[in-house]
Amino acid sequence: MAGEQVENRGVKYKSSIKDPGTPGFLRINEVMLLFVPNDPKSDSKLKVQTKNIKSHKNTKEASNKPPWLHLTTYQGRNHIFEFENYPDMHTCRDFVAALDKNDEEPKKAAVSTSTEQLSIKELELRFKLLKENSELQRLHKQFVESKVLTEDEFWATRKKLLGKDSIRKSKQQLGLKSMMVSGIKPSTDGRTNRVTFNLTPEIIFQIFAEKPAVRQAFINYVPSKMTEKDFWTKYFRAEYLYSTKNTAVAAAEAAEDEELAVFLKPDEILARETRQKIRRVDPTLDMEADEGDDYSHLMDHGIQRDGTMDVVEPQNDQFKRSLLQDLNRHAAVVLEGRSIDVDSEDTRIVAEALTRVKQVSKADGETTKDANQERLERMSRVAGMEDLQAPQNFPLAPLSIKDPRDYFESQQGNIVNVPRGAKGLKRNVHEAYGLLKESIVEIRATGLSDPLIKPEVSFEVFSSLTRTISTAKNIIGKNPRESFLDRLPKSTKDEVLHHWTSIQELLRHFWSSYPITTPYLHTKVGKLKDAMSNTYSKLDAMKESVQSDLRHQVSLLVRPMQQALDAAFQHYEADLQRRTAKSSGGERPNGYV
Amino acid sequence: MIFKIEDVTVYFPYDNIYPEQYEYMVELKRTLDAKGHCLLEMPTGTGKTIALLSLITSYRLSRPDSPIKLVYCTRTVHEMEKTLAELKVLHDYQVLHLGTQAKILAIGLSSRKNLCVNTKVLAAENRDSVDAACRKRTASWVRALSTEKPNIELCDYFENYEKAAENALLPPGVYTLEDLRAFGNNRGWCPYFLARHMVQFANVIVYSYQYLLDPKVAGIISKELQKESVVVFDEAHNIDNVCIEALSVSVRRVTLEGANRNLNKMKHEIDRFKATDAGRLRAEYNRLVEGLALRGDLSGGDQWLANPALPHDILKEAVPGNIRRAEHFVHVLRRLLQYLGVRLDTENVEKESPVSFVSSLNSQAGIEQKTLKFCYDRLQSLMLTLEITDTDEFLPIQTVCDFATLVGTYARGFSIIIEPYDERMPHIPDPILQLSCHDASLAIKPVFDRFQSVVITSGTLSPIDLYPRLLSFTPVVSRSFKMSMTRDCICPMVLTRGSDQLPVSTKFDMRSDPGVVRNYGKLLVEMVSIVPDGVVCFFVSYSYMDGIIATWNETGILKEIVQQKLVFIETQDVVETTLALDNYRRACDCGRGAVFFSVARGKVAEGIDFDRHYGRVVVMYGVPFQYTLSKILLARLEYLRDTFQIKEGDFLTFDALRQAAQCVGRVIRSKADYGMMIFADKRYSRHDKRSKLPGWILSHLRDAHLNLSTDMAIHNAREFLRKMAQPYDKTGTMGRKTLLTQEDLEKMAETGVQDMAY
Repeated sequence: MAGEQVENRGVKYKSSIKDPGTPGFLRINEVMLLFVPNDPKSDSKLKVQTKNIKSHKNTKEASNKPPWLHLTTYQGRNHIFEFENYPDMHTCRDFVAALDKNDEEPKKAAVSTSTEQLSIKELELRFKLLKENSELQRLHKQFVESKVLTEDEFWATRKKLLGKDSIRKSKQQLGLKSMMVSGIKPSTDGRTNRVTFNLTPEIIFQIFAEKPAVRQAFINYVPSKMTEKDFWTKYFRAEYLYSTKNTAVAAAEAAEDEELAVFLKPDEILARETRQKIRRVDPTLDMEADEGDDYSHLMDHGIQRDGTMDVVEPQNDQFKRSLLQDLNRHAAVVLEGRSIDVDSEDTRIVAEALTRVKQVSKADGETTKDANQERLERMSRVAGMEDLQAPQNFPLAPLSIKDPRDYFESQQGNIVNVPRGAKGLKRNVHEAYGLLKESIVEIRATGLSDPLIKPEVSFEVFSSLTRTISTAKNIIGKNPRESFLDRLPKSTKDEVLHHWTSIQELLRHFWSSYPITTPYLHTKVGKLKDAMSNTYSKLDAMKESVQSDLRHQVSLLVRPMQQALDAAFQHYEADLQRRTAKSSGGERPNGYV
Repeated sequence: MIFKIEDVTVYFPYDNIYPEQYEYMVELKRTLDAKGHCLLEMPTGTGKTIALLSLITSYRLSRPDSPIKLVYCTRTVHEMEKTLAELKVLHDYQVLHLGTQAKILAIGLSSRKNLCVNTKVLAAENRDSVDAACRKRTASWVRALSTEKPNIELCDYFENYEKAAENALLPPGVYTLEDLRAFGNNRGWCPYFLARHMVQFANVIVYSYQYLLDPKVAGIISKELQKESVVVFDEAHNIDNVCIEALSVSVRRVTLEGANRNLNKMKHEIDRFKATDAGRLRAEYNRLVEGLALRGDLSGGDQWLANPALPHDILKEAVPGNIRRAEHFVHVLRRLLQYLGVRLDTENVEKESPVSFVSSLNSQAGIEQKTLKFCYDRLQSLMLTLEITDTDEFLPIQTVCDFATLVGTYARGFSIIIEPYDERMPHIPDPILQLSCHDASLAIKPVFDRFQSVVITSGTLSPIDLYPRLLSFTPVVSRSFKMSMTRDCICPMVLTRGSDQLPVSTKFDMRSDPGVVRNYGKLLVEMVSIVPDGVVCFFVSYSYMDGIIATWNETGILKEIVQQKLVFIETQDVVETTLALDNYRRACDCGRGAVFFSVARGKVAEGIDFDRHYGRVVVMYGVPFQYTLSKILLARLEYLRDTFQIKEGDFLTFDALRQAAQCVGRVIRSKADYGMMIFADKRYSRHDKRSKLPGWILSHLRDAHLNLSTDMAIHNAREFLRKMAQPYDKTGTMGRKTLLTQEDLEKMAETGVQDMAY
């Protein structure tokens, strides 16, 4: 919502109902409402913080009053704005109303987090997070269940995950694979003519989505007429007949077996859908309209056989389906994406859900005119020449990256680092202010996630990293796509990564416990230290166990972890010594234990 | 921006203008001043259409005393929509600056199929049945009959339109087909007949070529256009083909069978009328004796396609006596069908001139040339008399009569070719008798004669001196513009070898070589992995594309491609192709990226833009030569050699290269856009082939890019894409202005210096 605002010229401001009003310019964004009169000498300039707006009222369109928007602040002051027309007023009103809601939400969130009462909702959320993120689950298992950390301690560092963002963020829809299903090859056992197909729910979903007739047949036949297994056997029999391209055999078999014929016949549901869709197609692409306009090629008119267009064997044979059609259909389905949110193993449920979705979308297509409107808008947007005019701003959708590591690992090839702020350079002052405010609020709620580092330290880290990366490069060659981790055996790689995350977790808790002010923290640190030394020895064991040719690399990877642990141990020892010394000395300066 | 070109104030709807757009307008203005014809080649991606529209509308505004009409011809309906969308932007701008006096009426015109709003008529499957369904409800005799029998269904839209009579007018504005339909729906008027009626009042008419070039259609739609019109043929590089197609007709076995059925039905009707309403047939006879081929008072609903021959070739005299009687005419047609049937029964390819065909027809079937000539008119008259509305049923006999009329009218520039089977599929007997026109100048001559200015323009008109010869006219301006580039935003490359250094080509003896197929596949696999968004591939023919995709599928290459991008393919089914294109665009929009496989000379290559992210690279697989053994092509080549002294080889290369240029030219739409063009065939490295490409592509084809292998091409592509992704100064650098502002233009006008950067 940052940076959104409404502006309106030609607004009159009235301090009371009787006031004739001052014409001027009104701007509302999420922080401030600003009114600037057209006449610079007038003193009715107005600034109101939007959070002070208590309520708003407006005149109804049907009444013969002018379009007024009436705002009341918490301070009890009234502001009336007269607009030129109703639509303008409505946009402003809607904006103010939206602001109100925004204001309420953080308040509620603050209340719930300040009391450490665990609502059922929150428990559910934690559970969901654990379920979705296997790594987190492993950590949770390792530390909470072995009692190194308590449940609350574990989650205390993950407030961000529990924050409102993650609640609001809907589950990201999984796309479909680009692979063709017809590409699934059966496995043979090599001795007999038997072949085996492995069907996963994903493949079944794709088949159903690409071939509505198969879906319909499934709903009709299974389980009343045949078992699911028989159904799929028949289906693949039909597919086999296609692949042989022997239409005569296909026709003969279809004549004998009416269920098989269903698979071999052209798909009528598909044809209907096609007719539906063609009406909604972008008019600048519509080649069907073209054909309807072409009287030169009226039956047998025009030039038939001059070799400009070649002939392909007639396609009218109903038992013939071309690879090209399959490809188009497949790509269309992939593009549509997973339209249903059913994660079921039961094929029938999937089939029925798909059918429902299709029916709904069909109804939509018939009733809404929005699609048409959007089509026209798109056309007019495309009509303009982009570099002859000022740039248009397209709406942006935020990226939803669930596991940042996936993203960054895929980016390893791009060594050039783009400065993070580059995108934001062009933001205006208001947006910048909005962003700053937002981040302050965020820090208050969740705490500083990464502490500020001294430049010298970061420089040192940076240069040592560069060194290791470059040496690693020398060893493994120039292929940027392959990182060293990928060359390790999978088990070792997983182990390294796991150790790394668990050490991080432990260290985070360890360092956040200092300075030790309560006995509770004291025991916690003790437990953490034990766990850490445990991990340390595991690291050593791992280093020993890997093959000799990889050992150097692994030790390079392990070294920073061990260094970090060493630093923690050192601190622990030093602190312990100091504390024993101090407790024996019996001095207790204020605020220091 | 608003600026002056000599004495004309030009309203241009953008803040900036390309120098070549300005130049283009200057040349266009000179043409209009001289009231002559012109030929302008300007690269795609330089805003030809908007430059054209804004100059001509501004010219009209500057000469309020003698307003000119703009007739804008596009090849396809979707281009028509695009043009109207641009015109809308322009019109809004002009109205904003000039007020209501700038208002114009601009309409797009198409067939009933695309304009009809009557749901019952629209339910018909194809264009011809929509036409017939419309006539069933709007023909004058049907409407007359409905006053007696109220259960006859009429079209409310047409009735309302007729009722409104002269008041049925469109208010000024720009109307796309969709707008026309919406307007018709609102008022309850038939948009098709309204649009046709408005043709005479509109300031701008946008329709497809054939509405002006094909006498069948032009005779109905464009008869009343005034001389003070500017006719523009956009994307006109194929105009010669459109012209010869408009006058060509062929006859197959199915045509003859259908025509025989039609005759039976007519005979039946004639007998029925004789029994019930003999007066009607007599009235027709009397009318024909008086020399009136057609009743002059045809209302809109009665009109059907016009005479296939050109207007000034149609004899204005009475129908010959031997076909005045309805049953005599049916007899003559029967004899004609019989004769054609015999001729189709040949085992060898036969080639004949129309003159000898007509004389043998006369000696064997006893049908004279003059009789043939009047076949069309006589049939029309008979169909009206018999009150036949289902025109779609009667298409076969119509085709035969069109054939007869054309063969009787033209002795020169045509030939008759009878083939027992298609050359490439000798095992399938499919006899065909073709009357093919070779002379493109025939169909376009009336247009040149009739209108004040004709503008022929396209992105590829090279060699530009060939077109005036093919169309036999003298342009007052003939110019080819170069493109002033802000940066090298196109990157043409010639790929001659695969990574294994084996040559690639679609030459007949090489095209099915597995090595070539594999190398072509590998090229695409590599390309899809490095090119963002859209990739477009053009193949030389459907059958070649079919074959190569099947092979790729078997060898797993297709799988590798699909892993990177979705695959969409042009098929021979128009509906499917349209949907595939729509999906392709959506895949590019959402960032998934896609590959589109298409065919040179196909419908997609003809008019779909792959601009911006819809096409970052175009691969042209092979040189799209015509099938050189085609008898029709050979006959045409012979004619061109004898009449225009154009060598066969030259014409074939010219034709293939204009198609290739057309395919690759679709990637770029503005200077902010960028795209690569890969010509994947070793023959492109030869100078005689390459030099036929348009200059704006050639000037970017570096010597280092003339003989690349796949890995080198990939390397170049990477570099190019990286370079293009950098920000740049749009207005041009180093003193070369590639984007002019208002001030720039004013300065130029003051100093009178025309030193623009090229």
